[in-house]
Amino acid sequence: MKVFGVLAGKGSKRVGALYLTCQLFKIYFKLGTVHLCRSVIRSIETARIFDFEEFPKRDKVTYMYYTGRLEVFNENFPAADQKLSYALINCNPQSEANIRMILKYLIPVKLSIGILPKDWLLEKYNLVEYSNIVQALRRGDLRLLRHALEEHEDQFLRSGVYLVLEKLELQVYQRLFKKIYIIQKQKDPSKAHQMKLDVIVKALKWLEMDMDVDEVECIVAILIHKNLVKGYFAHKSKVVVLSKQDPFPKLNGKPVNS
Amino acid sequence: MERRHHSQSHSQRQQGRNHFSSSSSNQSRSNNRFSFPKSSSSSSSANDVRDRRRETQEEKQEEAIVGTCPFMCPEAERLQRQRLRDLAVFERLHGDPRNSSPALAVKKFCRTMSAKEVRASDVRPLPVLEETLNYLLSLLDSTEHPFEVIHDFVFDRTRSVRQDLIMQNIVNDKAINMFEKIVKFHVISHHKLRSSCSSSSISPLHYLNLEQLTKALTSLYNLYEANWSSKPIHEKEAEFRSFYVLLHLDSNGQPVGESLSLWFRHVPSPIIKSKEMWFARQALRYFQMGNYRRFLSTVAAEASYLQYCIIEPYIDEVRSLALCCIHNCYYKLHPYPLGHLSKVLMMEESDVELFCNAYGLQTCIDELGNKLLPTKQTTFCRPKGGLQNYSFLGFQQLGRQIEL
Repeated sequence: MKVFGVLAGKGSKRVGALYLTCQLFKIYFKLGTVHLCRSVIRSIETARIFDFEEFPKRDKVTYMYYTGRLEVFNENFPAADQKLSYALINCNPQSEANIRMILKYLIPVKLSIGILPKDWLLEKYNLVEYSNIVQALRRGDLRLLRHALEEHEDQFLRSGVYLVLEKLELQVYQRLFKKIYIIQKQKDPSKAHQMKLDVIVKALKWLEMDMDVDEVECIVAILIHKNLVKGYFAHKSKVVVLSKQDPFPKLNGKPVNS
Repeated sequence: MERRHHSQSHSQRQQGRNHFSSSSSNQSRSNNRFSFPKSSSSSSSANDVRDRRRETQEEKQEEAIVGTCPFMCPEAERLQRQRLRDLAVFERLHGDPRNSSPALAVKKFCRTMSAKEVRASDVRPLPVLEETLNYLLSLLDSTEHPFEVIHDFVFDRTRSVRQDLIMQNIVNDKAINMFEKIVKFHVISHHKLRSSCSSSSISPLHYLNLEQLTKALTSLYNLYEANWSSKPIHEKEAEFRSFYVLLHLDSNGQPVGESLSLWFRHVPSPIIKSKEMWFARQALRYFQMGNYRRFLSTVAAEASYLQYCIIEPYIDEVRSLALCCIHNCYYKLHPYPLGHLSKVLMMEESDVELFCNAYGLQTCIDELGNKLLPTKQTTFCRPKGGLQNYSFLGFQQLGRQIEL
C-alpha cells in the first residue's frame, strides 16, 4: 500500500498505479481476502489524480475484469455487464485464455438479462458447462436446468456463479409457459389466451417436476407479479388469463425485477 | 507455514501450555476471510489482530497469555465494582448493591486499551471459563426478571468470555463447544428480542445482539477451520454454517461481510451436502425466486428451532409478498377464500384476517358463511407500524426450549 501512495504522488509513475492495483487484486482473490479490494478500488475511482483513460489498455482490461467479477458476486448485473463487456471488447483477441476467463463470468450475467450465447462461442472457448443451461433456457426445460446445476454444482460454487445461475429458473418457467401458449394458439387461436392451471401442472409432471397445484398457482402469481407474464389468475376457475398483447414480455437487458 | 492466532498480550512469566492449532495452512481455506464489517468501535483489538498474518521473528517468540484467575470475576475488579456500586442485579448478594461474592460476580467486558496492560491474574483459564459460561446460560431460565434484563447481562458477560478465550489463543474442541453455545444464545435472543419489540424499527438491543451474533459466528467458523486437520467434521458445524446463509437471504439488503457467492466458494464439500445446509440453500432459492408457497412449507417442515429463529423476519416478508401477489394478480371477481389463504400463509385463519387488515384490506363473507378476501382493493398499503406476531402453522412442535 505504501508503493501505492508513492505512485499516486509522482507524476510519471502514476501510470503504474493500475498495474499495481491489478496485482493486488490477484493476490486478494488468491488469498480469499476479497473484501480488501474495496479500499483499493476506492483509491482508484475517487482520487482525482488518476485519469482512467491514461492507463495502458492491458491494465484497464484486467482492472475491469476483476471489478466486474466483484459485481457478479454482489449480483449487480448491469454494472457487471458493463465492466466485463468492456474487458471483453478491449481484450487482445489472441489471448484465448483471457477471453475464456472473462466469458466465464460474463455469460451468467448475460443470461440473467436474457441474452443467450451462441453454441459456437461456448464450444470455441471450452465453456461447455453452460451448454445445458443455455439449452434449458431456450426450451423452457426445468428438468434440464436443475440437472445442469446439479452436475456442475462444485464447479459453479467454486467460481461463485452458482447463485446467479439458480436464479434463471424464473426465466425458464416463462419460456415454458410461452411454449404452452404457442401450442394452444396453434390448436385454437381464439382460446389461446386462457391457460388452464391443469395444463401447466401436466406439463410440469411430464418434466418430472414434483409440484402440487398450490405451488404452480404460486409460481403463476410470482411470474405475473414480476412482469414475466402479463395477465391475471382466476382462482375459482383455475385459469390464467393472458393479456392479448405481449403476454410474455422480454427482459430487454434488465434483470428480472425483485 | 504455521498459522498463528497472534495475540497482542504476552506474559513474561507464564510459559504454560498453549494450544497452537495444527493448522491446515497449506490450503488457502485456512485464512481469515470472513470479515463482517468492523463496526469498528465494538470490535475488541484481539479480534482485529486475528485477521492479520504477520510472521516476524519477534512474534514467533511471543506466546499467548495464560490466565490464572480462579474466579468468574477477578478479585480486584469485584472489589472495585463493589466499591463503586457497579453491580448488576444478578451479582448482588441478597440484593445489596454494594456487596457481591465470588459465586455471583462475573467479569465484565472491557475493551483492552493495550494488550501489555493485561495481567494473567485478570484472565480466566479454560476450566473457569467453561464454568462461567454454564452459569451464565443457566440464568436464561430465570423467571424473576424480564428477558431484556437477563439478556443484557448474559450478553455482556459472554462477550468477556469470548475475549478471554481469544486472548489466550484457545482454539480446541472446548472452545468450539463454548462458541457454539454462545452463538445459540444470541440466536435465541434474536428471536425473543424481536417478539418483544413492538415498533417496526429494530430496537438497539436487537441490533447489537445481531452484531455480536455475527462476530461470534465468524470466530466459530475460524475455529472450525483451525481444527480442520485434527477433526474434519464437528457434529453441529453444518447447522452453524447454515446460519450464515440464513442471515443473508436478502441479497438486496445491506451486504454484511462477504457476499454469499464468495462465501460458498470455500465451504467444505461435506458441509454443502449436509441436510442443514441443503435446507438453507433451498430456503435461499425459494426466497430469492419469490416462491412463497414452498418457502413457508419447507420452513415449517424442515427448519430446526435455531434456524427458525434466524429466518423468522423473512417469514413475514414472504407472507407480505404472498399477499401482495394474490392481491394484485388475482381476478377481481373471484374473491380469495381465507381458508385457503391461511394454508398458503401458514397462519391461523383468525390471524389471517388481522394480517389483511394490517395491509388495509377488508374481508367479506359469502352466502355460505365463508370468509373471503376480495382482490385488487384500492386500500392496499404497507402496514405503518411493525407487524404483530402471528402464528406459524406446523411449527408448534419446535416451541420447546432448547437446551444450551
